[in-house]
Amino acid sequence: MKIQEYLAKGILGSYGITVPSSKFFSSYSGSDSPFLPCVLKSQVLIGSRMKNGGILFADNQEEFKSKMSILINKPIKGTKPEGILVEKKLEIKQEYYCSIFINRLERDIFLSFSECGGINIEENTDSLKTGKYEDMVDYISEKYNQDFVKIVKSLKKIMEKEDATYIEINPIALTVESKLVALDCVMDLDENAYFRNGHLKNYMNLSDQKEQFHYVKLDGDIGIIGCGAGIVMATMDAISMKGGKPADFLDIGGGAEKDITLNALKMLYDSGIKRIVMNIFGGITNCDEIAKAVIEFKNENIDASIFIRLAGNNSEIAKRMLENAGIKTYEYMYEMVNSCMEEVKCNA
Amino acid sequence: MLEGNERVCVQGITGKYGKFHTKKMKDYGTNIVCGVSPNKTVSEVHGVKVYSDMQSAVNETGADTTILFVPAKFVLNATMDAINSGIKKIIIISEHVPQLDSLKIIKKMSEINHNHHNDKITIIGPNCPGIMIPDVIKVGIMPESAFKSGDIAIISRSGTLMYEVAKHLSTRSTGVKIAMGLGGDPIIGTNIAEAMDYVIEKNIRKVAIIGEVGGNDEISGIKKALAMNYNGNIQTFFAGRTAPKGKTMGHAGAIIKGFEETIEHKEQVLNEMGIRTIKKIDDLFIRV
Repeated sequence: MKIQEYLAKGILGSYGITVPSSKFFSSYSGSDSPFLPCVLKSQVLIGSRMKNGGILFADNQEEFKSKMSILINKPIKGTKPEGILVEKKLEIKQEYYCSIFINRLERDIFLSFSECGGINIEENTDSLKTGKYEDMVDYISEKYNQDFVKIVKSLKKIMEKEDATYIEINPIALTVESKLVALDCVMDLDENAYFRNGHLKNYMNLSDQKEQFHYVKLDGDIGIIGCGAGIVMATMDAISMKGGKPADFLDIGGGAEKDITLNALKMLYDSGIKRIVMNIFGGITNCDEIAKAVIEFKNENIDASIFIRLAGNNSEIAKRMLENAGIKTYEYMYEMVNSCMEEVKCNA
Repeated sequence: MLEGNERVCVQGITGKYGKFHTKKMKDYGTNIVCGVSPNKTVSEVHGVKVYSDMQSAVNETGADTTILFVPAKFVLNATMDAINSGIKKIIIISEHVPQLDSLKIIKKMSEINHNHHNDKITIIGPNCPGIMIPDVIKVGIMPESAFKSGDIAIISRSGTLMYEVAKHLSTRSTGVKIAMGLGGDPIIGTNIAEAMDYVIEKNIRKVAIIGEVGGNDEISGIKKALAMNYNGNIQTFFAGRTAPKGKTMGHAGAIIKGFEETIEHKEQVLNEMGIRTIKKIDDLFIRV
């Protein structure tokens, strides 16, 4: 789970990494800036904010007020900001890049470092050195100022104590006063560690805690529901290969019961999706629970079109229930997808 | 990896899922010799004796394999207990294990394996459906009716997709030799390369590899097998070609962080290596 920059910098600061003097505004009512000149940073979880107009500069109070009033309400790439982080603008001699992360393949903690940081790091990959954390600490302490070693060690500590899975500081600025300051920070925390991590609880949205299923909204018009992430993705792919556009990724998980299934169907329907494909392979899930939800949903929403494939636990019972209610069922996923796409073409 | 004659312990046997799957595994013929649970009020589950600690369970029953159904926050300690009690094969079904805990478990495993080349520990998962040799043994949660015995090995990061593929291979192809559900987390105990070691060792000639968006495990695993001169038939199926970048698709591991983690890229690299990349499950291991 990615957290906002102002929260991430709060964590950096509490582990002894210098961050600019700052103030966070969740709303704005015309007050003066506490710093001048200053940087106004929109708090959205989106990459390349600079290139998308999410970062502005002010040299005087007048400029601050007018830019602040605009930025506080301005969506960046369609996302409204959580607030604005106002920071003192620093004079910089050089920009460095540093990130710490869990390397999936090596199953170990890795570190990347570059002396050519800043917004063009992706084009400067030649300067980027990556390796195992321990090896990189040796490399940095041989080649660079010991202050870098301190930062890197703090990052490792944050990872271990805060259950961070990814921290990127880009840039680490060397100021004209020869201080190293973290100007920006991207941080991913592991939500699975919420049971032991105080910070995480504060950062999780209430909606995240209530979530009964994994849902990702996409921009198509065919609703997809399944039990199991892999099978949902495979269904999305099958729809796309036939020229359809999936409206979502929605995994009701293993062992889903009637209520969760019904909530999932209603949520898609309420967001305007009238055609829904359901791919249920009951490993832990009992198919008759799913069938009950579908029948109730169809009774309430006659204009909805459901394509359902059922296999596994109690699938024969579930099929009979559905067919008695006049809902056609399918044995195989691709057969179901084909029927759905034929209907799409007929109605086009 | 499993041979078929394992003596299996169930950690977390008194919980809802532990209890349910103990019965299912026993009915399938798996030799469940004991269970472990901190719940001291239960002494037996489906005829299986329940111990309060791993060491006495192993000492008294000779268990060599364990399957974990414990809640995520206890997985680290439960796995360490299993390792310290001398258990060699550990299958972690539990999901939502913090990544740092998985790293600690794998570090411990690597240390031991480094010093004991002939007596290695194998860890499968977390967040996996387990391992099954159809008609022989099931240490996992998969619906057994989808799996018929045959000659194809399945290696999968996804649970439900593995069942889907198994059903297809069992009804419309030559059946399943072994199904290895490695798990959907970013950090897993056995990766595809290590699963391929078993395929090579047992001289299994057909392998279906079920992958997802995110990571690069499929490519590195297949590359390693080819470098070891494996010349059996490998076919891959990937899920998530329509997944948007940067969004976690249910599995913590299923997230695209860069182009090299997209299916487009993975399939291109695999094709260059001479591997058949199948786009519909129905086309896996069908004679053309």
